[in-house]
Amino acid sequence: MSLSEKYRAKRYAEIIHQDQAVKEVAKFLKEFPKKKSLVLHGPAGTGKTSLALAAAKENDLEVLELNSSDLRNRAKLEETLRPATQQSSLFKKGKVLLMDEVDGVTGTDIGGIPELVKLIHSTSFPIIMTCNDVWQSKLSPVRQKSKLVEMKPLDLGSIISLLLKISEQEGFNKSPQFLKQIAIKSQGDLRAAINDLESYSRLDSEEIDLTDKRNVSQSIFNVLRRLFKERQPFLELFDTTDESLDEILLWIEENIPKEYKNETLVKAYHALGSADVFRGRIYKNQHWRFLVYQNAFQSAGISFAKDAPLDGFTKYEKPKRILKIWLNNQKIAKKKTIAKKYARMVHCSTKRALRDFTVLTPILKQESVQQKLKLSDDEIAYVNGLR
Amino acid sequence: MSAINIWTEKYRPSNFEGMVGQQEIIKRVKSLVQALNIPHLLFAGPAGIGKSTLALIIVKELFGEKWRENYLELNASDERGIDVVRQKVKDFARTKAIENIPFKVIFLDEADALTKEAQQALRRTMENYSNTCRFIMSCNYSSRIIDPIQSRCVVFRFKLLEKKDIRKRIEFIAQNEKLNIKEEAFDTLYEASEGDCRRAINLLQATASISPDVTPDMITMVSSAAKPADVKVVLDYALAGDFVGARDKLLDTMLKDSVSGTDIIKAIQKEIWNLQIEPSIKVNLTEKTGEAEFRMVEGSDEFVQLQALLASFVLAGRGEA
Repeated sequence: MSLSEKYRAKRYAEIIHQDQAVKEVAKFLKEFPKKKSLVLHGPAGTGKTSLALAAAKENDLEVLELNSSDLRNRAKLEETLRPATQQSSLFKKGKVLLMDEVDGVTGTDIGGIPELVKLIHSTSFPIIMTCNDVWQSKLSPVRQKSKLVEMKPLDLGSIISLLLKISEQEGFNKSPQFLKQIAIKSQGDLRAAINDLESYSRLDSEEIDLTDKRNVSQSIFNVLRRLFKERQPFLELFDTTDESLDEILLWIEENIPKEYKNETLVKAYHALGSADVFRGRIYKNQHWRFLVYQNAFQSAGISFAKDAPLDGFTKYEKPKRILKIWLNNQKIAKKKTIAKKYARMVHCSTKRALRDFTVLTPILKQESVQQKLKLSDDEIAYVNGLR
Repeated sequence: MSAINIWTEKYRPSNFEGMVGQQEIIKRVKSLVQALNIPHLLFAGPAGIGKSTLALIIVKELFGEKWRENYLELNASDERGIDVVRQKVKDFARTKAIENIPFKVIFLDEADALTKEAQQALRRTMENYSNTCRFIMSCNYSSRIIDPIQSRCVVFRFKLLEKKDIRKRIEFIAQNEKLNIKEEAFDTLYEASEGDCRRAINLLQATASISPDVTPDMITMVSSAAKPADVKVVLDYALAGDFVGARDKLLDTMLKDSVSGTDIIKAIQKEIWNLQIEPSIKVNLTEKTGEAEFRMVEGSDEFVQLQALLASFVLAGRGEA
């Protein structure tokens, strides 16, 4: 058994640095079925699975565990889960379904997510899910149905004290200084810290290879925090997140005014504008080498817009523009079909008709015109509803 | 079939005599039509001055009652790419024209919306079907039409309609629709239309839908409701230091009225000179606006460039730009 398994927290009391999350999970199980599912989300090694298992233990529930690798298709998921959600356990009072790493349900698991949502509807047992990034779009249907509980990266002190405890119990002869280095290297990932401790445990030397750092996939929020707060030539910053450069651009666009004011605001948007100019050239000429320029402007360009690093906590927001455009397209869909019919009749472009729509409205409200243009009932209702 | 009650259609001239302005062009086109043969034609000039109308008159004169079967109208800015245009042309050109005229007519509106590559492809299509089809193309700027196409066409440059031309048309409509137009209202209508006869007639009909007595105030009311965007409000927010407010307002107006970034920047460029700020700052802002417009052409996302410009206005509001 690996050390990280051996020292996995078994009870609420053993879970460190996640008091709020523990409270939320306990409340969720107590209030079930008010909410039927809960998502524990946060970086690797923060105790998501441990907390879920501990919760089951505390409440004397049998755990039915599912890994994303188990469900390659709808049929399998149905087969495994349906009966479980309907019959009670023989020995224990109840069951809890644990679905680890739901971000692992990918496009190839056709129907995986919709099936999960159906399951949330029909289940008679609580479902606990874990994932690193709950904000990815494919999880949005799950997000809407579930209670979300965030797990924070562990602080240095908690990791050090646990490493000290393990080191003592296992009889490793390691200095506190060494343990601290391991803790720092782990970047808040407790499992990584324990694994590292295990791998160095049989060596006499206390030298740590800091270069074999794990590539932690950072959430977009962390990336933004570093970009806006620090002042560095961040050319590789975006490699640490899964978002594409174009998506990151939208995030930056949304959040610049939260951090920068006046002169800095101008500089930052100018840099972002330059990034967009190179993006335009990439699209038009398929000249992909220009990506390096887009990247440089939207990373270092944004970071160096300010004269000094910034302090304080800022709550970043998801980009709203794409959603607004989408909503608007839904809203003006009728307007577009009307404009198209009108345009054909009067020999102009649909674009022109859309631009002139306000002036045209009283003209389009005439019944005879609506008949001539063969407007549908929906379209007529739309036009007549305009002021 | 009774005429549709959209005045731009109802009162669209159906013969050469009914057209206002463009007299030189009409004379030349008329002689071509009388010979029952026309070359490819390219009509260049701003919107609402009679390009489409003249194209329609040509086919009606050539084909009489049967004009619809022998005429294909395409709008380059609405079609989904040159392949669609070519396919439509191909299908249309496959059958022979009837009667005594050996060709059909294709009217390609807003041809300058096509990219250079698309125009090259179009030129091949023109050559392939030159036995059975004549093209009439319209554009706002002939400079945006590639040379090989221009050299295959007879180019006509349409002039902006004069005030008296538009007035003549408006008076004709007023008489038929029994409107009572105040003398000063003609001026207001002309200014609001910016010389675009289609716009003038639309404004007239929208105003007349409220009352047959058309006054300058009513025209102003109708036309200001249809201004491309509340650009002034957006700039006021920015000058007052509320960047996010300005940005939200800008996006809302652009979405609501389907206004392009280019239209917004044109409106900003005009609005700068009405703002309550130091004239020297106005010059700086004009430079920033020009720069933003240029970057818009190069870039891929107009809204990013507009935000960069708004940020400059925030600074200008503090007297620092």
